[in-house]
Amino acid sequence: MKYVLPLTHPLLATENVSITLSGLQILEDVSIGVPEGTVTGLIGPNGAGKTTVFNIMSGFLTPDSGNVRFDGKKLKHIKTHHLTKLGISRTLQGVGLFASLTALENVMLGGSARVKSGIVADSLGMPWADHEQNKLRAKAMETLTEFGIADVADRYPSELPYPVQKRVAIARSLISDPKVLLLDEPAGGISAGDMTELGRMIKSWTPERTVLLVEHHMELVMEVCDLIWVLDAGKVIASGTPEEVRTNPAVLAAYLGDEGVGH
Amino acid sequence: MKTLRSFPGNRIVWHAIIVGVVWLLLLLLNNNIDPLYSAYLALVAMYATAMFGMTILVGLSGQVSLGNGALMAVGGYVFALTSMNWQTVPFFGWEWNAVWSMVFAGLGGVLIGGIIGGLAARLKGPYLAGLTLGVAVGVPAITNRFPELLGGENGLMLTVPYPAGGYAAMDAGGEIAGEADGDVVVDPGTDEGATGEDQQYAELDLTEFDQGNDSFAEGDLLTEGDLLTEENFDAGSDQFAEDDLLTEEDFGTGTDLGIDETAADPGGDAGGDAAGFDGAGQDESELAGGGLIDAFDSEFIIERWQASMAIAVACIVAFAALNLVRGRQGRVWKAVRDDPVAAAVVGISPSGSKVSAFVVSSLFAALAGAVFAQILSFIGPGAFGLGLSLSLLVGIVLGGRASLLGAIIGALLLVWLPELVDGLSGERGWPEQITNNAPNLLYGLLVVVVVLAAPGGITGTFKSWIDKAKGRGRATLS
Amino acid sequence: MTNFVDYLLGGFSNGAVIALMALAIVLVWRSTRMVNFAQVGQAMFTTYVALTVQQSSGSWVLALVVAMAAGLVLGIVVFFLVIRPVKNSDSTGAIIATFGVLIALQAGAGMIWGGDPQGFLTPVDNSGIEFAGRIWPISLYDILVLVVTAALVIGLTLLFTKTNLGLSMRAAAFNPEVARLSGVRVNRMLITGWAIAGATGAVGGVLIAPVSTISPNSFDILLVFAFTAAVIGGLDSLIGAVTFGIGTGLVISLVSGYSDSGNAPIVALVLLALNLLLKPDGVFGHHGARSV
Repeated sequence: MKYVLPLTHPLLATENVSITLSGLQILEDVSIGVPEGTVTGLIGPNGAGKTTVFNIMSGFLTPDSGNVRFDGKKLKHIKTHHLTKLGISRTLQGVGLFASLTALENVMLGGSARVKSGIVADSLGMPWADHEQNKLRAKAMETLTEFGIADVADRYPSELPYPVQKRVAIARSLISDPKVLLLDEPAGGISAGDMTELGRMIKSWTPERTVLLVEHHMELVMEVCDLIWVLDAGKVIASGTPEEVRTNPAVLAAYLGDEGVGH
Repeated sequence: MKTLRSFPGNRIVWHAIIVGVVWLLLLLLNNNIDPLYSAYLALVAMYATAMFGMTILVGLSGQVSLGNGALMAVGGYVFALTSMNWQTVPFFGWEWNAVWSMVFAGLGGVLIGGIIGGLAARLKGPYLAGLTLGVAVGVPAITNRFPELLGGENGLMLTVPYPAGGYAAMDAGGEIAGEADGDVVVDPGTDEGATGEDQQYAELDLTEFDQGNDSFAEGDLLTEGDLLTEENFDAGSDQFAEDDLLTEEDFGTGTDLGIDETAADPGGDAGGDAAGFDGAGQDESELAGGGLIDAFDSEFIIERWQASMAIAVACIVAFAALNLVRGRQGRVWKAVRDDPVAAAVVGISPSGSKVSAFVVSSLFAALAGAVFAQILSFIGPGAFGLGLSLSLLVGIVLGGRASLLGAIIGALLLVWLPELVDGLSGERGWPEQITNNAPNLLYGLLVVVVVLAAPGGITGTFKSWIDKAKGRGRATLS
Repeated sequence: MTNFVDYLLGGFSNGAVIALMALAIVLVWRSTRMVNFAQVGQAMFTTYVALTVQQSSGSWVLALVVAMAAGLVLGIVVFFLVIRPVKNSDSTGAIIATFGVLIALQAGAGMIWGGDPQGFLTPVDNSGIEFAGRIWPISLYDILVLVVTAALVIGLTLLFTKTNLGLSMRAAAFNPEVARLSGVRVNRMLITGWAIAGATGAVGGVLIAPVSTISPNSFDILLVFAFTAAVIGGLDSLIGAVTFGIGTGLVISLVSGYSDSGNAPIVALVLLALNLLLKPDGVFGHHGARSV
């Protein structure tokens, strides 16, 4: 995917975002953008503020100053549960699956934003409400099949190995047909083989979908990203292609101060 | 469970079939047991109705609320108030009847439940429990605040809890309900026939009433199937609405005992309540023994009627609850309970989901309250205090927090355990002080033990056994 | 105006008792981050014990001491048998379990002492003091209540601020992990918190019993008042619990004076609802606090 810096029309962007949490300046004047159709990476040493950027983008936190812009529009006072309706979907660090629901039910809930029938229709067992759920169920099954985990549809998360749980979580975030997918450390706790598969999968979503990736595993980031933003101590210190970032002295300095690239 | 899930297209049909069959079986049961047991059956159905709401609120949505006893009071009072003058005040040209009062009781529950739930959804765990505890303790204070409207501590007598006052008209009057079980859904054809007969019997009743008989003669005309058909409600009220068949005194005498019991023992103690029914039953048979209208009185048994009404409400509520719990809404509630942040991320409003659980459980509680009021023929603050809310919590925890079957088992326990203790006490000659408190002591201890050792309650424990047998491990509380 | 002053004065001793119950709730909250809905039930039970002691020995002081000891023990028992096994695994269950304890205690008390309200004799005169030409709405007993409460509050304050035990308890409450690392026996501190809470509630029960009467359910309303005071005070603050406990007592007294004592629960409910409406998160921190 092609992009030109500075970005003119990013699909999703933070504009001069600053935030202070319990007296600490976590982000300072952070402007990053995610061009449409790319896989964009957000990296930085521990405590750089990557997850805070995600949390601001998903409405968990409101910045002290600055905006989040999506598709040209400012997102003000976004409520987290409205995000999927807008076309933004995210995964949570770890897995964040619902423990008392099966894998299939978990994935079905990913489509909640599009469900039209309400509680009254549900309680009376209206045919259209049932029909809607059946369609959603079929779509969830399809997604699980795509992810190669159709056989675990009726299993509960606690019965599944960690990498499979991760896949279910990603399947859940994809079923809402998001324009932008925010992946928070998707490679955490999975094997090298699974990671290669994950990278291939992420690549395959573009250019129909746009991906913003926060990840510790540099191999994965370098392999799949078109554009990378580097945060350190709450500030953007570099951006560019994987090559540019890899050779950027500021980035090297930041990471050497941490513990070295990719641990 | 598994089989149902693999027929998704027929899910609702399955629910209807299950509920329909259970309804039928319960009616059969009701008509073939001693009226005393019918009284228990009515109580179980009433508790189950309220506890289906607790399944949703406490089990699925994870909100510990003690407000549902108060919401039952809301339903009971709305029922009482809207039914008091229904013979004289038509509602937009409609004859007022008990079904309308039930509808309004439900609406009252939805309204109050929505208000409390709107606040409650913002609260976490102990705050919600504490606030609703305040609501439960405040019920008597609130009724005392409006003595003219709500009757203060003395409560209100229901004027029209029985069939002729507005529930169904009957088909063939002489028919004992057991034979009429088949027509749970009555087709219009037979209705018309029935209406014709009703007229006859209604006139008959009237003449008898003119002779100064103030017994429950009108009630004999009831068969359960009719509760379902609206045509019948209208027909029924046409026949009876203008005629003041029921006077307050009727029910006053019939239910004095019941009131005393509940006022003295507001702990939702089913034994106490049931003792009240004995009283009502005796009065009724006394009246029947008067021989004024023995032809009908021998067939109308108030406990049976109450049970069939309570069963009808419980089954309708169970159908809605099944659809909700086993469908999308159930998944949404569980998701928010398990992980509100993840739920918000997938597009579910956590507070919206909590409010909806509150409102649904309030609706069920209010309907149960209306049924309770009809069973008691009375509504007062004593029967709806903290004790009732606590028993609902006890029932749902013991039966199984997140299971509708658990709600039914809990309801059975609430009614059966005091009776068991009472029986034992009679055998062993325990002092009254022990007998009266033993059920609650058991409930309290059992709740602690269940929470510690088997958080899924009876149904959850069975489920996890079955899962274990199948070689699957999973959370007990699902 | 004299009415107002009278109502206000009359509210202090009730307020003191509410403050004690609120203190008990706060102490438990500080040690285990949960609300013990059985707290007032425990107080009811120990008050019955005190009643028995008073009836057999005739000594109010002995009754008070025995009640405190019983409260201490009951607090520890409830903690060990119920709270410790459940508190980390199932937060909904923990709330429900405390209600289970409440139900069992009430039924137990009913079994042992019967359901009829019983009177509790005061050690000193409980009629209004005559002074400066009029009768004031405060009795010697009210003054005793205030003195005992004040002594207890001062004692607790000293305990928490001046002693090693108090410091360890605070450390265990606010950051158990760090406290554990610095050698504090966290579990022991939690037990201590429950024990002190039990004793504090027991004192409250004995103090209120002569004014109200005692029956298994008679303290239910006190639970609502105490919870209200504790929550408004922030659930975490001893000073808050005392201040708002007395404040609740005064408000109730004014409401009872100007309208009807039956309205007091409604007013408490409204206060609680308003407070929760304005700061629904209480001390839990806000929604976004979860680290994702």
